[in-house]
Amino acid sequence: MHHTSETPRRPSVLHIFKIYYPDLFGGTLTVIRDICASLKDSFASAVLVCSQSAEQREIVVDDVPVERVRSFGNLLSLPAAPTYPWRLWRRSAEHDLLALHAPFPLADLVFAFGFGRSRRLVVHWHADIVSHAGLRWLVEPLMRRTLRHAKAIIVSDQALVENTPLLREFEDKCHVVPFGVDTSGYDWPKIEPHHVNDRGRLVLACGRLVPYKGFDVLIRAAVNRKFEVWIIGEGTERPRLEQLIRELGLGDRVRLLGSVNDSERIKLMCLSDVFVMPSVTNAETFGLVQLEAMAAGRPVVNTALDTAVPHVARHGMEAITVPPGDPEKLGDAIDTLIRDPERRRRMGQSARTRALTRYSATAFREGMETVYRDAVTASCEEPATAAEPPQATGWLDSVRIAAALAWSDMRHRYVRSLLGPFWMSLQMAIVVAVLGSVIGQMSNADMLARLPMLALSMTAWTFLNSVVLDATTALQNSASLIRDRALPPVIFLLQCTFRQTLFALHNACVPLALWLILSPHDLSHALAALPGLLLFIACTFALSLVLGATATRYRDLKPIIESTLMLAFLASPVVWSAEMINHRSTVMRLNPLTHLFAVWREPLAGGHIDPTSIVYVLITLALLIFASVLTLVHLRKAAFWI
Amino acid sequence: MVSISLHNVCLDYPLYGAYDFSLKRRLLGHLIREPGEMRIIRAVDSFTIEAEAGARIGLAGPNGSGKSTLLRLIAGVYPPSSGRVTVRGKVVPLLGLNAGVNLDFVAEDNIALLLRISGRKPTRGVIDDIWAFTELETRMQRLPLRMFSSGMLMRVLFATATAFPADILLLDEWLSVVDEHFAEKAERRLQNLVSQAAIVIIASHDQPLLRRTCSRIINLDHGRIASTIAVEPPVTHSFELREKRA
Repeated sequence: MHHTSETPRRPSVLHIFKIYYPDLFGGTLTVIRDICASLKDSFASAVLVCSQSAEQREIVVDDVPVERVRSFGNLLSLPAAPTYPWRLWRRSAEHDLLALHAPFPLADLVFAFGFGRSRRLVVHWHADIVSHAGLRWLVEPLMRRTLRHAKAIIVSDQALVENTPLLREFEDKCHVVPFGVDTSGYDWPKIEPHHVNDRGRLVLACGRLVPYKGFDVLIRAAVNRKFEVWIIGEGTERPRLEQLIRELGLGDRVRLLGSVNDSERIKLMCLSDVFVMPSVTNAETFGLVQLEAMAAGRPVVNTALDTAVPHVARHGMEAITVPPGDPEKLGDAIDTLIRDPERRRRMGQSARTRALTRYSATAFREGMETVYRDAVTASCEEPATAAEPPQATGWLDSVRIAAALAWSDMRHRYVRSLLGPFWMSLQMAIVVAVLGSVIGQMSNADMLARLPMLALSMTAWTFLNSVVLDATTALQNSASLIRDRALPPVIFLLQCTFRQTLFALHNACVPLALWLILSPHDLSHALAALPGLLLFIACTFALSLVLGATATRYRDLKPIIESTLMLAFLASPVVWSAEMINHRSTVMRLNPLTHLFAVWREPLAGGHIDPTSIVYVLITLALLIFASVLTLVHLRKAAFWI
Repeated sequence: MVSISLHNVCLDYPLYGAYDFSLKRRLLGHLIREPGEMRIIRAVDSFTIEAEAGARIGLAGPNGSGKSTLLRLIAGVYPPSSGRVTVRGKVVPLLGLNAGVNLDFVAEDNIALLLRISGRKPTRGVIDDIWAFTELETRMQRLPLRMFSSGMLMRVLFATATAFPADILLLDEWLSVVDEHFAEKAERRLQNLVSQAAIVIIASHDQPLLRRTCSRIINLDHGRIASTIAVEPPVTHSFELREKRA
């Protein structure tokens, strides 16, 4: 948008996924890596993922910066990374385009809450959710929201769109970009296969050792046959597969090779006679490894899934396709190929041709670049149309600006002193100490136990007092922003509440420390006090709105408000607790502040709120809201007053 | 569709004296039946104007003729006393450059805050672009604005205010004088901004500038339209020249 940059800057793309190199290897990661590498001239890529390893949050993989958010294990196949949403929100602001690699419901959740909404989003649909399908009803609405928000959905094959109901809803957004394979690496110098492996019966499979890959089926298929099976890959299923191999007595013919590097894998592919992809569920959407095997000129045995798998290598041309999960048919198909070298050669040749022509890396890059570029430019019109209804988004913008101003106010305190607002906390601590000792002298009660409550009440009072006092001068102090930038005056009244909330949080460390030291720690009480506290804050804000506006119109109100607040402090049970004074005192009972404090102090102390207090507070709030609405109507004229 | 339509708009500007801000006096005045006469000045008087996308309007007139008040009326700062105001599109008022500036903050934070105030995300790239435009040293980004000379301050504020294009651009006075080189660059950038905005309204005393930039010049006198002058050929000519130079 900003037309200032004279040199064309590469648009930046943030790839969002759950895991990345070097924590894992696999098809999806290869795709992300290939996208980053092949688009590096036109897009600046970055990756945001989770990682269980504690060290090194920021690493660089193949020239691409990768931020790894700490995760504490997996929960329902999702990384338990509490800070990931926060990082995603922060990072999404820095990039021109977000590329979400689905399925990743954690990111869907973040987008569902509206974070990153303003960014352009492209979804790479790698697979549907297959594990924990019982929770689908929960996740699907989130995914639908993400897809609705997305500018484009990239799938590897048309079959995915047709067989996924969710994708069919967004068919017009789907772009089919088949994965590509860089075939140059597969021109392995002429190793005559029969020299190394002249028995002609080496069967290769490759993939993470996870259930959906169906390697157990392949192992069972090897029973009572002659061929050898080598499986490349690592994963959680390894112990189970090893046990299966032992039980079936296949130790001499079936080998789990573990992870191998890229060039080694390619070499093994060129050596093998048949490549097998025995995957059993639709989680296998494309099968990048079978494409690699095709590039290496190997015949393939794959399974009849509802995904791209049987379309990449087609039955009877490049592959023999068998029903998923059927060891007998799988074994037969492998044997057919093992017995017929001529057919192997023919299928291998057509496999290589297909990989070269239909799935080239160039086509992949060009397709990807087109989709990304369209997504980046398409949204240039978006802000203009979004700005069309100014009233609808207006109040949200106001809140945002008020928050930004309040935040900067708080930082300003830190600029001038090292402790910043903590100076006020220090002052608060002194006040509480002095008041506590004085009251202790007066009432003989156990003052130490009451100290946390006293400190908390003082914090709350300071909050209310400063919000109202701030509000009386807020509009005058921001005259230039109101008149020259046409900002709505209500922003600056909101700013007072936000700013004082931030300061109150600083002050709250005093009661918190006292509470930790002096009281039995009961969190349930704190939760019970929360609704009351919210009522308190709402009333404070409404009061500041009304008084702030009227004090700006009538300047002589400010001293009156100041003295009234002083009086209110003395006439409310802020310093004294209910038992210390006569509870029947008329002034106390009529004073709304008594009840405004009671609604959160009583539950915090473990007691029950007097219903009259609740009624009193609700009536007060209703009146204040009514007055606030009136004020907001008149606030339009505020520019005349300042 | 971006448009501004003012129909028969009047604005009565209340002039509050010291006593008018007093609630006590107001209440007393009611009691003793003293007619509280508020002094009112008609700042904008039966003003009618229609502007569609592409309009470049200059406002001229002596001090106190209502130029700034009219701009604020369009920006929505003042509600009209009578008449109809319809504004479609996002209005960006650049009436005073130093609104919202905090001199104790470092330049970078000020830029970020000012961008947030105008509803933009202050990303690193945007701030760097703005800084590049000021032509100041990079390390000065970390200095408080208090340490800047007024010329340098003006550069920073100008670069920030004009970093983003607008639908409707309201400009009060061109810009205060900075050194010659930067003034030229600044005018080029403003021209660029003006060329991107759908509607531009400029209030200025600088007649040559208005003639260079605007397609219509409205002379104001005591809140009324004294005369309207259509300026045509020089506009495209000057733009061509500028583009060639840029």
